[in-house]
Amino acid sequence: MPKIIDIIINRLKSEDEESISLALDKIEQLTDVTDADKIALASSLTQLFYRDHVGMSEMISLANRAEKQITRFGSVLIPFLIDELVNSDAESCAHLGRVIAVNGANAITPLLDAWNKKRADQYALINLTQALAYFRIPEVLQTLPEMLIAAGSDNFQLSSNAINAIGKLVVRIDPNLFDEALRQQMFDASFSHLSDSHSLVRMQAARTLGKLMEKGLLTNAQQEKLRAAYSAILGKDENNDWDDAYIVRHEAKRYLPLLKTTPTSVAHYQQSFRIISKRELCAKTFHYIIEAPLIARKLQAGQFIIIRPHEFSERIPLSICGWDSEKGEIEVVIMSAGKTTVQMNEMNEGDCFKDIVGPLGERSHVRRYRGTCVVIGGGFGTGAIIPTARDLKALGSRVIGVVGARSKELLIMVDELEAVCDEVIVTTNDGSAGIQGFVTNALEQIIKDEQRVSHVLAIGPVPMMQAVCELTRPIGIETMVSLNALMVDGTGMCGACRVSIDGETKFACFHGPDFDGHKVDFDQLTKRQKMFVAEEKQALETL
Amino acid sequence: MSEKSAKKYTELSNKERMALSFQEMSLIAPEERIQNFEEVPIGYSLEEAIAEAKRCIQCKKPDCVDGCPVGINIPAFIKLIENGEMAEAAKKIREKNFLPAACGRVCHQDKQCQAVCVVGKKKEPVGIGNLERYAADYERQHNTLELPEIPPSTGKRIAIVGAGPAGLTCAYELRIRGHEVVVFEAFHRAGGVLVYGIPRFRLPMEIIDEDIEFLEKIGVKFVYNMIIGKILSLDDLLEQEGFDAVFVASGAGLPKMLDIPGVNANGVYSANEYLTRVYLMQADKFPEYSTPLYQGKKVAVIGAGNTAMDVLRTAKRLGADTTCYYRRSREEAPARTEELEHAEQEFLNWRWLANPVEFIVDENNFVTQIKCEKMELSDPDTSGRRKPLPTGEFFTEDVDTVVLSLGCDVNPMIPATDKGVKINKWGIIIVDEETCQTTKRGVFAGGDAITGGATVILAMGQAKTAAKAIDQYVRG
Repeated sequence: MPKIIDIIINRLKSEDEESISLALDKIEQLTDVTDADKIALASSLTQLFYRDHVGMSEMISLANRAEKQITRFGSVLIPFLIDELVNSDAESCAHLGRVIAVNGANAITPLLDAWNKKRADQYALINLTQALAYFRIPEVLQTLPEMLIAAGSDNFQLSSNAINAIGKLVVRIDPNLFDEALRQQMFDASFSHLSDSHSLVRMQAARTLGKLMEKGLLTNAQQEKLRAAYSAILGKDENNDWDDAYIVRHEAKRYLPLLKTTPTSVAHYQQSFRIISKRELCAKTFHYIIEAPLIARKLQAGQFIIIRPHEFSERIPLSICGWDSEKGEIEVVIMSAGKTTVQMNEMNEGDCFKDIVGPLGERSHVRRYRGTCVVIGGGFGTGAIIPTARDLKALGSRVIGVVGARSKELLIMVDELEAVCDEVIVTTNDGSAGIQGFVTNALEQIIKDEQRVSHVLAIGPVPMMQAVCELTRPIGIETMVSLNALMVDGTGMCGACRVSIDGETKFACFHGPDFDGHKVDFDQLTKRQKMFVAEEKQALETL
Repeated sequence: MSEKSAKKYTELSNKERMALSFQEMSLIAPEERIQNFEEVPIGYSLEEAIAEAKRCIQCKKPDCVDGCPVGINIPAFIKLIENGEMAEAAKKIREKNFLPAACGRVCHQDKQCQAVCVVGKKKEPVGIGNLERYAADYERQHNTLELPEIPPSTGKRIAIVGAGPAGLTCAYELRIRGHEVVVFEAFHRAGGVLVYGIPRFRLPMEIIDEDIEFLEKIGVKFVYNMIIGKILSLDDLLEQEGFDAVFVASGAGLPKMLDIPGVNANGVYSANEYLTRVYLMQADKFPEYSTPLYQGKKVAVIGAGNTAMDVLRTAKRLGADTTCYYRRSREEAPARTEELEHAEQEFLNWRWLANPVEFIVDENNFVTQIKCEKMELSDPDTSGRRKPLPTGEFFTEDVDTVVLSLGCDVNPMIPATDKGVKINKWGIIIVDEETCQTTKRGVFAGGDAITGGATVILAMGQAKTAAKAIDQYVRG
């Protein structure tokens, strides 16, 4: 009695579509097929791929059903299928390629082995390349070096097939898996064939380049090159000499407009606001270096930023004490005072602030002075005078720094200030460092000792700035102060930061923050700063 | 009533239509609504919408379309509502206005389309705004909005400065013409005045968020925390960043203050500051949200425009005894009729013909009293307007918070940082009226930046004009 397998195999050889269909039905019902029978069945099934199907639409669906059954038999068929593949004709090659590719990573090594064995047989290589084009797994990238070589073959069929396969992989594999070197190689391999003598190769090259572009694998420079090439193919450049092959022009026409749709990237406008370093200066006061390249590129001495550390936070204006436009970093000093500053100082290296806006405000009043310039920093305002001191010094003025604090432990940024001044004088209320007393004592001394003091800048607590201004007013020394008024938006939109300057209302965020100290209504400023004392206390209690 | 049965309407004669009565939109009761920030008008039901739509007599020469700054085909969309084709009605509106849900709520219909409505000559005009809102809400609730097809990219890149109504509209108009659009916003979220200036009880946040999401879906890019003029100049955008054109829609963000004693007292806010604290920074949820608001028990609001109404009603919801002070009478109040009426229902106090002359402060600079001069109106002058005249009589009242709602000047950031952009003596950016092009090549402007404080829909109309001109400009 003949085995069922043999009956099926016999039926598959039939010229009658119905018989074949019934045989396929039988195969679909088979269970527990031995490996030998699988190979026997597969060798009959693959024969269906070669059948002439012109005018016989039923045959196409039978071949597709055959594919499905071969797939069902699993990886044991891989060596057999590869042997079939290398000798297959153009159409059966596609069927075989698909059924091999279904096996995924398992099929890669056998395919590479076959490639090595058949290296001299270009016909085999054409079929192997075509099969590789059907893979969707990252492991297929192992074969890319061979395909890049094949792309350069003198055989136009192998070359066009390989370029086509590269294009297919670009579409089917996660674009992130192609590293920079690989992208460059794929671009070069394809681009060099845009001038191939054979139109089929040129067409495949134009198409694969289009796919590379579509998947975002091209640099701006490569896109520019490609744009020029497509334009040339279409006769749109000054040479006015189009590619004579319609198939090549067709690809160029399809991809040229898409080339321009490469989505506009806004990535370089997204700043991370990551804390690169955090360092304690004194109790409750920290120095931060923050990544903010766009802000760092534009900052000028005297300007400020607004930070919103979390989604629930208020906006906190902060002076800048330094920046590095090359590295894209800005420096601030944050002192824990209310809820939000406490929360900011709980953040650590690697954490990111939610939002930072800047640079805000106008640049400090800076020019070359004949006489001495005195920059005075009180408390955590000391950091804020450093950029302006540096500018004054750079313009050739003599700059003396004065730093005041209640006691030695609260002195901050003295070394950094020394680096940008000719001389720095320290004062402490308790005498634990430098001169005992206030910054005004030091300023009095400087005015006495120096030939001429032309300019004073004071940044710090309001009483300190006010005291400095009272000292310089009668003797007419130009004195600038930086006003840390309450703010919301920082662009002049809300007016929370109103200050009276010579009786006129100004917005500290937009017109300032630096103002002529002799014109500031300090009394009003002091009182306005206390507007939310009760609310700030209430907020702090929620921590 | 199902959508299907709604379609079985019978054609009415104009006479019958004119006889139909206006469908009032239901409101949440004043006692209830002042306890929260929920939207006040609750929208038409299907029946109400169709009944109101039937009142439209479908004029052959519809004046309402001319009365709409963006030229919505009003009779057409109302007819679709009457036929029960709600999704189609929304689509019809969207041909001209891509923010229908917002405009249906905040537009000055009483000074635009509804003011010229022919039905309105004899009776209450057709509730065009209510119907617009109905169609837009239907579209949102039934998810019938289809994304427009974006043509292949032109490769032209346009930078938009400001994500308010003008900026968003221009972004939309340019994107659907196939251009690449990047919107630069100074705040941490998009929406502009829709977010920071218009209260949630008039315009819920979901509506704004959905409009922004829509723009993102069609490929408009948004970048936040970017103050153009500071972090990037106009020249940076045009030269270094490779934009082919810039549209400046930076709004009217410079509040007008009074020049009277005590204006810088603690507790005296601009409306911008007050509303920004509450709606952008969510100070109403303080201390969960950290932005504080010194909210007193007696709040005085100076002015009687829409923003003043918004502040009054916001302060009321925050629990204050709230009073409006205006130097003219109710007749001249610039607020939209509906806003004024809604405000009047909310237990507020009104001091018409009262001109503040001083804010009296305590020793800590906190405001304690408002001093006003009583005013009277002159006879109409040549312009037909009645001017407020001082009477020499004064009165004072206790207050602990004052909010100045006197309008805004143009945001000065762009003209201050680029001398190529010329302004007039009021700080308004000078533009060619046909094209919205500024005095700087490649730079266009629209919205409050060129009007100095107008309305959402006017800003949108200008943005559309500008988009058309920008499109022509970048295509050379």
